[in-house]
Amino acid sequence: MDFQVVVLAGGTSKKLVPLVSKEVPKALLPVANRPVLSYVLEQLELSNIKDLIVVVEGADAALCVGGWISAAYVDRLHVEVATVPEDVGTAGALRAIAHHLTAKDVLVVSGDLVSDVPPGAVTAAHRRHDAVVTAMICSVPVSGLSEAGSSGAKDKTKKPGRYNIIGMDPTKQFLLHIATGAELEKDTRIRKSILRAVGQMDIRADLMDAHMYAFNRSVLQEVLDQKDKFQSLKQDVLPYLVRSQLKSEILINGAPQGQQAKENGNDKVSYRILANASTPSFHELYALGPNGSAPVRRTHKCCVYIASNSKYCVRLNSIQAFMDINRDVIGEANHLSGYNFSAQNNIIHPSAELGSKTTVGPHCMLGEGSQMGDKCSVKRSVIGRHCRIGSNVKVVNSVVMNHVTIGDGCSIQGSVICSNAQLQERVALKDCQVGLGYVVSAGCEYKGESLARKEK
Amino acid sequence: MQFDDQGRVNKSKKRAVFNQPEAKNRVELFRHLPQYEHGSQLTDLESKFLELDSMHPAVYKVGVQYLAGDVTGGNARCIAMLRAFQEVINDYSTPPGKTLVRDLTAKISSYVSFLIECRPLSMSMGNAIRFQKSRIAKLPLTLSETEAKAALCNDIDRFINEKIILADKVIVRHAATKVRDGDVLLTYGSSCVVEMILLYAHELGKQFRVVVVDSRPKHEGQALLRRLLAKGLSCTYTHINAVSYIMHEVTRVFLGASSVLSNGTTYSRVGTACVAMVAHAFRVPVLICCEAYKFHERVQLDSICSNELGDSNDIARVPGRPDVNSMDNRTNEKNLQFLNLMYDATPSEYVSMIITDYGMIPPTSVPVIVREYRREYLLI
Repeated sequence: MDFQVVVLAGGTSKKLVPLVSKEVPKALLPVANRPVLSYVLEQLELSNIKDLIVVVEGADAALCVGGWISAAYVDRLHVEVATVPEDVGTAGALRAIAHHLTAKDVLVVSGDLVSDVPPGAVTAAHRRHDAVVTAMICSVPVSGLSEAGSSGAKDKTKKPGRYNIIGMDPTKQFLLHIATGAELEKDTRIRKSILRAVGQMDIRADLMDAHMYAFNRSVLQEVLDQKDKFQSLKQDVLPYLVRSQLKSEILINGAPQGQQAKENGNDKVSYRILANASTPSFHELYALGPNGSAPVRRTHKCCVYIASNSKYCVRLNSIQAFMDINRDVIGEANHLSGYNFSAQNNIIHPSAELGSKTTVGPHCMLGEGSQMGDKCSVKRSVIGRHCRIGSNVKVVNSVVMNHVTIGDGCSIQGSVICSNAQLQERVALKDCQVGLGYVVSAGCEYKGESLARKEK
Repeated sequence: MQFDDQGRVNKSKKRAVFNQPEAKNRVELFRHLPQYEHGSQLTDLESKFLELDSMHPAVYKVGVQYLAGDVTGGNARCIAMLRAFQEVINDYSTPPGKTLVRDLTAKISSYVSFLIECRPLSMSMGNAIRFQKSRIAKLPLTLSETEAKAALCNDIDRFINEKIILADKVIVRHAATKVRDGDVLLTYGSSCVVEMILLYAHELGKQFRVVVVDSRPKHEGQALLRRLLAKGLSCTYTHINAVSYIMHEVTRVFLGASSVLSNGTTYSRVGTACVAMVAHAFRVPVLICCEAYKFHERVQLDSICSNELGDSNDIARVPGRPDVNSMDNRTNEKNLQFLNLMYDATPSEYVSMIITDYGMIPPTSVPVIVREYRREYLLI
């Protein structure tokens, strides 16, 4: 179908320290015991896409991601892993692989997106309107449990970077205005020409940009070449294209759009028959000269695809989001996890051992080879593979990764414990993050802290 | 295919490209026509976009445009489809071990059945496809692949130019002679040929007034009205319930057609028969403007045996008027069935003259043109 897919898997994100590290880049963070990148790849595989490019920042991360992909998807997908230098931003990453892009349109997906929206729907909307960019929008997910606010106090101010202001036309097909989190503190400016051309604009603050974009390849390459200060797709490229949609400065297919030569009268007539047959969008109406004569202004279309409310769509870009996604994937959105749930609504691997009087509540997951001692209680948590958990341990609302040792009498609430960590006896953790391989000494109590090994 | 034959419907569903749930509450008299739940069709087709490997993107785009209603009108649909087929032929390469003639015909047939699933074909499109297939079948075997592809694309270009664009020019020239100064011309809905006639007559400097009659649910006349006003014609706009009220001031009626059948019956947008009947009662001449490629050798006596059913929600709901929407959401009630017919048949008694690219003929001469000039298809 002439579409190329690029997955931006990031590198080691700063927002997710100490969960990410050199050995575990962001793309391989486990959600319900599967790397988060696997959700994106599985969705693409279901849509019959066989070739894709995965872009990773940093050479170490690229090695890890490449190794995992070739192990897991050896026959099913043909994936090319491209390495880009760190901190170039999403636009910079695309600039680096621009020579690999050959198809007519490019679908750019963020590697941390967990959703079940079919990418085909976004690409179909893109093709139907011959748009220059189509963005997928979903409703803002409900975040966090009310009692376990990760930042402690109830946040009265909006979390920046999470919310967007999105302006659409009444038919909800075209994107007229988009503003991302950082600009929310100040006023937001709307182009008057766009408002006048379309007549009515609906502005919504309860929608979020899901970072799945379909671009027209030549336009994307041109914008990236001309505007080399652009670092981020979401914050620079997309708002630029949306702002300039009625005063288009880009050349589509190498020729300025309004000057496509109609060689003979016959072409003109058939073009007019086709144009008259369909209701013109406000772009075409704006482009016409006075009295509806031939197009005098160049416009391009920015379309939007709104994911329906029944679909799940969340991005893993903060620790709170990580906990939420884990909770949802084994809770409400459990069709995404791909596992079969037992009668008590949880997933316990057959090789896991539970001690006596140990309870595992609903919406929990217990990985392969894990052992739990006596009188433990697990509620709404994910426990990875080969963990050794002692007796009298309470794990509530937490994520425990692989190969973790937890001593007796520990109490873990709302926390994330990374692989190979060790918690000695009677440790109490509330809303903490324990990094890779860290050892928490016995009897310590931590609240809202992030504990990580010092990098050597 | 008749859709009340359960066995054949199930067979065609197995070959279907995308899943279309059938509407539950259907009128008994029209059970032989396909009717689907319109709400989920487009989302279903869109979500399958990347999985349809065998579908050419141009054909897919045209199918989505038909389904969404982005392209309407016989000429526009036909041109869009033929241009998509041109792209298909340009991108085509014969797989090893197969002949171009057979393989390309099979491919085009599969694309045509996809387009039929999106929206049933109009008769003009059926004629165009038949022409296309006969051209493919008549390709001399000595041609190489590139020459054959070039020849086919050339044929499509000739078809569009001669049968649609040039034909429209001839019709416009003929019809403009029938417009005199001081005329009041009535038209129904939005036909591209009638629009060209009105604009051409206006350019010639004739003084006349236009009455545009429109109807729910599509309000197609509004787009025509906008374009006529932009060119400076003086227009009146009314709905079909008032047509007998306004007919006494009308001097001529110009109507477009989706097709003209061999018994002189005009098959066109629903409401045309009504307008023609009222005009006949008021002794106003009715002129049908139709290109000859839309003529069909079929004979139809009523609008029931062959028609198209639209979305029942369109008639249940009035957009922008929530106060009159008592019918909304009642599509599943047992005692209530919605019927949204798209086409109707105008008997030949109501038609004074048909203006085609072969001249101005009475409705009884249609079978003569079909007989004599249809052979010309094969001789181009």
